[in-house]
Amino acid sequence: MTATKAFLAGFVLLAGLVVLALSVGAQGFGWGDGGSLVLLRAPRVLAALAAGLALGVGGAAQQGVFRNPLADPGLTGVFGGALFGIALLLGIFPEAAWQRAWCIPAAAFTGALATSALLVVLGGGGAASRLLLAGLGLNAFTAAGTLVIASRSGESRELLTNGAYGDWLGMATLELTWLPVLLTFFAAALLLTLARSLDLLSFGEDAARGFGCDVGRVRRNAVLLTALAAAAATCLVGQVAFIGLLAPHLARRFVGPRHAKVLPLSALLGAVLLLGADTIGRGLWPQAPLSAAAVTAVLGAPLFIWIARGRNE
Amino acid sequence: MSEVLLQALGLGVELGGRRVIDGVSLTAAGGQTVAVVGPNGAGKTTLLRALSGLLPCSGELRVTNDRTYCAQKPFSAWDYRVRDLGEIVGDSAAFAVWLAKLGLAELGERRLTEISGGEQKCAHLAMALAVLPEPYGALLLLDEPTASLDLAKQAAVHQAIRACAQAGAACVVATHDLAFARRCDQVIVLSEGRLVASGHPNTTLTLEVIAAIWGAPDLTEA
Repeated sequence: MTATKAFLAGFVLLAGLVVLALSVGAQGFGWGDGGSLVLLRAPRVLAALAAGLALGVGGAAQQGVFRNPLADPGLTGVFGGALFGIALLLGIFPEAAWQRAWCIPAAAFTGALATSALLVVLGGGGAASRLLLAGLGLNAFTAAGTLVIASRSGESRELLTNGAYGDWLGMATLELTWLPVLLTFFAAALLLTLARSLDLLSFGEDAARGFGCDVGRVRRNAVLLTALAAAAATCLVGQVAFIGLLAPHLARRFVGPRHAKVLPLSALLGAVLLLGADTIGRGLWPQAPLSAAAVTAVLGAPLFIWIARGRNE
Repeated sequence: MSEVLLQALGLGVELGGRRVIDGVSLTAAGGQTVAVVGPNGAGKTTLLRALSGLLPCSGELRVTNDRTYCAQKPFSAWDYRVRDLGEIVGDSAAFAVWLAKLGLAELGERRLTEISGGEQKCAHLAMALAVLPEPYGALLLLDEPTASLDLAKQAAVHQAIRACAQAGAACVVATHDLAFARRCDQVIVLSEGRLVASGHPNTTLTLEVIAAIWGAPDLTEA
């Protein structure tokens, strides 16, 4: 498939999904009087789209910067760090958290950035397995931290547990969504500018430096922007595994490994996957929607195994 | 005499608390080829990495910013097509020219995993050469560019190095190929991180030095 066809197909699929997602609700299909239901559903659709985009582009960027096809902000604890940041804020300053639109995104970004920094320090510079082991450790730690805070704080308990299960899309409102959505597009756009540097970096630090790439700057910017994308996605949906891993692999299958194509297509496919998962979860069980994260895992796991098997062929 | 593009005086490099390069001096001017030879572990790669600015070093190092370094074992995490490599280094046209000079013109559409190790090495060298906007006044640092290459490719790589030198570049090449080293303008012999001999090949690659360093007769003399 040529890159143009892949992007076109992705856009058509996403557009179709947006229309479908806007039409599906607790009362079945329909747009309500004068499209009133569409307006009601729009924030959730926008949140799912942006979060999926952030997951897709963040996964591709992290795989690129760590030169590791198994890196995924979901596996390496960066999403976990973002949620832990939110949990800390809700646990320590429960009132302050909701006073400003930027409080929760800032807490998520701080958590994601702290985990990313630890990941670079603990997992960088060694074998590929070291990064993943360090990431798994960080992920377990942040998940445990979030659960500890959730179990100790009465008011935020349900909220945090829902976040850990990737079930926040249901509470999307325009007030809660606009800032993370903006941050997502900002991070994704800046990550695209690093595409050629990530290509150079894939040859190793020495080779990349030999070719004139400012490795330190590229690494720092990629890690920062991935943390920003991860924070934005976490604010919108909570924790969702697999999309950050799946979308870049899927993208590479269609357009090859050049980051100039993988980053945008992975973003597009991430949006398709998460919006698709949320729409399936709402469409099939209108009264008690299944969370996007659950649907993603159920459908994503077999898809990922199929891709993994194809890698050596 | 052409412009001096590299001047190192008493260079030292420490890795993990061990002094891997100790008191090495060398000079390279535009148009010159310099072979860095020595047994495995002598410090050839470390010296080249230090000269290319990848490693911190002590001593005095004056070197042009217009330099390119080609690592010994290139390996990309992703399975690019060969022609992608030109876009990745930012000059597809120059990359295609070097690829053709190295005899790989028809490999453009193949993926890196679909070509041999030697071909990958040549493609990587073409990337390093394509980075240079203009050979004149540039410094090329090549780490064992002909290791694991067949005879035809070795000859093509040697020709490419000579072409760069003739165009005014200074080429510093780490190599085990003493026959190539003999045809260079200068040879640096390293052993355990120290300079054993340096200068014209006739005065450096003597039977005594070769026997002392490698413990074997010079097969290229036969």
